Amino acid sequence: MNGEFFIPLLAAAIQSGTPILFATLGEILTEKSGVINLGVEGMMVVGALAAFWIAQSTGAPLLAFLIAGVAGSLLAGIHGAVCLWFRGNQVVSGLALTILGTGLADFLGTPLIGQSAPGFGPVHLPTLAAIPILGPVILTQDLLVYISLLCAPLLWVFLYKTRWGLALRSAGEFPEAAAAAGLNVVAYRWLGVLAGGALAGWGGAYLSLAYTHLWTNGMSAGRGWIAVALVIFAFWRPGRAIAGAYLFGGVMALQLRLQAAGTHWPSSILLMLPYALTVVVLVLAARLERGSEAPAALGINIDPHE
Amino acid sequence: MNGSPPVVRLDGITKRYGAVAANQDIRLDIHSGRIHALLGENGAGKSTLMGILSGMVQPDSGRILIDGQPRAFRSAREAITAGIGMVYQHFMLVKAMTVAENVFLGYPGVLLNRRRMEETVAQLARRFGLDIDPAARIGTLSMGERQRVEILKLLFRDSRVLIFDEPTSVLTPRESEHLFDALRRMAAQGKAIVFITHKLDEVMALSDDITILRRGSVIEGLATTAVTSKHELARRMVGRDVLLQVQREPYEPRQLVLRVDGLSNAGLRDIRLEVRQGEILGVVGVAGNGQKPLVEAICGLTAPAAGVVRILGEDWHRFYTHRRWDGNLAYIPEDRRGLATCRNLDLVDNFLLTTRQGFCRGPWLLRRRATRKALRLIRDFAIQPADTRISARQLSGGNLQKLVLAREFFRRPRLIVAEQPTQGLDIAAIQDVWNLLLNARKAAGILLITGDLTEALMLADRLAVMSAGRIVDTFPVDDADKLDRIGLMMAGSAA
Ligand SMILES: Nc1ncnc2c1ncn2[C@@H]1O[C@H](COP(=O)(O)OP(=O)(O)OP(=O)(O)O)[C@@H](O)[C@H]1O
Ligand SMILES: [Mg+2]
Repeated sequence: MNGEFFIPLLAAAIQSGTPILFATLGEILTEKSGVINLGVEGMMVVGALAAFWIAQSTGAPLLAFLIAGVAGSLLAGIHGAVCLWFRGNQVVSGLALTILGTGLADFLGTPLIGQSAPGFGPVHLPTLAAIPILGPVILTQDLLVYISLLCAPLLWVFLYKTRWGLALRSAGEFPEAAAAAGLNVVAYRWLGVLAGGALAGWGGAYLSLAYTHLWTNGMSAGRGWIAVALVIFAFWRPGRAIAGAYLFGGVMALQLRLQAAGTHWPSSILLMLPYALTVVVLVLAARLERGSEAPAALGINIDPHE
Repeated sequence: MNGSPPVVRLDGITKRYGAVAANQDIRLDIHSGRIHALLGENGAGKSTLMGILSGMVQPDSGRILIDGQPRAFRSAREAITAGIGMVYQHFMLVKAMTVAENVFLGYPGVLLNRRRMEETVAQLARRFGLDIDPAARIGTLSMGERQRVEILKLLFRDSRVLIFDEPTSVLTPRESEHLFDALRRMAAQGKAIVFITHKLDEVMALSDDITILRRGSVIEGLATTAVTSKHELARRMVGRDVLLQVQREPYEPRQLVLRVDGLSNAGLRDIRLEVRQGEILGVVGVAGNGQKPLVEAICGLTAPAAGVVRILGEDWHRFYTHRRWDGNLAYIPEDRRGLATCRNLDLVDNFLLTTRQGFCRGPWLLRRRATRKALRLIRDFAIQPADTRISARQLSGGNLQKLVLAREFFRRPRLIVAEQPTQGLDIAAIQDVWNLLLNARKAAGILLITGDLTEALMLADRLAVMSAGRIVDTFPVDDADKLDRIGLMMAGSAA
């Protein structure tokens, strides 16, 4: 192996990992507030479609990116209404959201298949790009990669350094205590659900605006589910989400490269790699877990009469 | 009482739950700088009343006046803003967060600076004599320390009225002393303190004013100086004489029901003890010295790593895998709401939780028969309200414990493991439970784990002193020499 193989692979790992990173950060935020949302896959494809459609019709990719966040939030809002207003089962509602989202995107996206839209390309910073390794791997990516990388520390600061973050975490750990401290727990859970949805929508937008500039159905290809698993692997910490997302991005990129290079491995096995890794990672996380990592009230609805 | 106007005046507070009047036309004044004890039997409505004052429960009618101004609290936040805060029986702390983070929860600032937060908390703690490490995670703290965090939360918000619901029930005697000092200091700095308790010694030692509730109504409000003894207080509270004395018949040990030999587990080292039918072995010691792991090993919650545990003559593994243990071993856990009952099931279902013998035919539950039986027990044990259709969470703490005891004794067990069985019970109920335990001793051997030395001395035939996961010594209760040294033994020095 040499630099000619590795450096493009690392760059590709980042590109492939970025949508996962957005979605994982979103799910961390949602779960920290005590709501589990298994609709990430659905929110991602809807975000991807919204972004593609807006970019194509307005020619403004940045606007398209922002709208994708709104679309993700809207879909997450359904989950919020079911869980926070009607106190429905969070797992069932999230699964329904994935089915709804993927179905909706396939249906609305079919006429767009094969079309292209303007998106984001690599930024070119001549002096920085010349730095060995770092230059080609990180400093010649597109704008959205940097936004995603900025989101992780921002999320960390929000969660651990602001009072709203403290309140949101307490809503996920022990909502009764938060309520007794005079906080509006349901409002903080809404915040977690909607903002998490926006991040998942952005993850989808990356797929249709930067990763490819073409529309195909089934674009997210299970990345939403990987994000859900990565939240556990990352122990709900934004910093570890970066490492996890790029690890998965790397395996996805490697798998593509091996296919292209033509190994004797059947392609179906190679395609399976990221998902097999998901299982391995979850088992590892379960073994490492010291029991106190998951928000204590995750998945438990708030009964206002208690 | 003193001449200054009250900080809080409750005026005609009424709250009904279905047919039960939890509070009925209650009038009560609370003054700054004074410690106010709220007394009453289990289910008298103390927690409900304080829930109303702290904004967690909405009254059906009545007014709350703060500094003479009528105020209505629709949430805890509004009460906190008005300077009224409550330390709950079940702590409202986020275990995964630090002391400082819990104190700052709900605080109106934007950015949190860890060091500044911790300094603020440390300063506040020093001012009121509450010893605590602001950077520690709640999960690693003892019950006494957690309570200090709850108090700090209120002090941090400048609460002027601090309400405590049975604050000493989870504390060791040392920690209780600590708390009392802090309460006195807070009162001296002008805070108004309300505390709910069943321990009349505490009332006599600590309070300035006393209010007694019975069945939802105030039956008496008086200054502590007007009460001569705790017996008088007990009589006023219950309406008849309660002596808190029991008749202990002489000890007649028969066959062995529990033998533990060389048991070692996480938190336990080389435990040796025996319990025979007809005797009560009292395990005493400061909480957290291995009592919990010991009970868990005996009751089948954790497997013993080393050593022998024989229950009713059978090896631990055999007993818990092969035998139909129904009716032989009764476990009365400290955690009534968690381990002993299912909060959303009704009382009949909770009764059937451990008792199915005689209430099953094939796959069918004989619910009607179980309901009749449960109702009988509810009457016998004077559980309020006497209704089998309510769910366990609707019972007050003391009544829930009586339900658990009624259920477990009904099964006529041969080995009873009772963990803090009278915690949170009113004195009439304590008297009942003590008599029940002594009676049960005829047919069973009893392992009594208690933090209350008075209770151990009253009931036990022999005492085992625990310290640092070991049994320091076992001796009969009439061994005066060893009794004198019991404090030293609890602190870990050998007998
Ligand atoms: N949420 C509820 N639903 C129905 N009934 C309730 C509820 N809360 C309390 N009650 C009833 O109101 C009465 C008063 O209960 P409360 O908890 O105030 O008693 P308490 O004086 O605090 O008793 P204890 O000393 O046992 O804690 C009891 O009869 C109880 O069963
Ligand atoms: Mg109570």
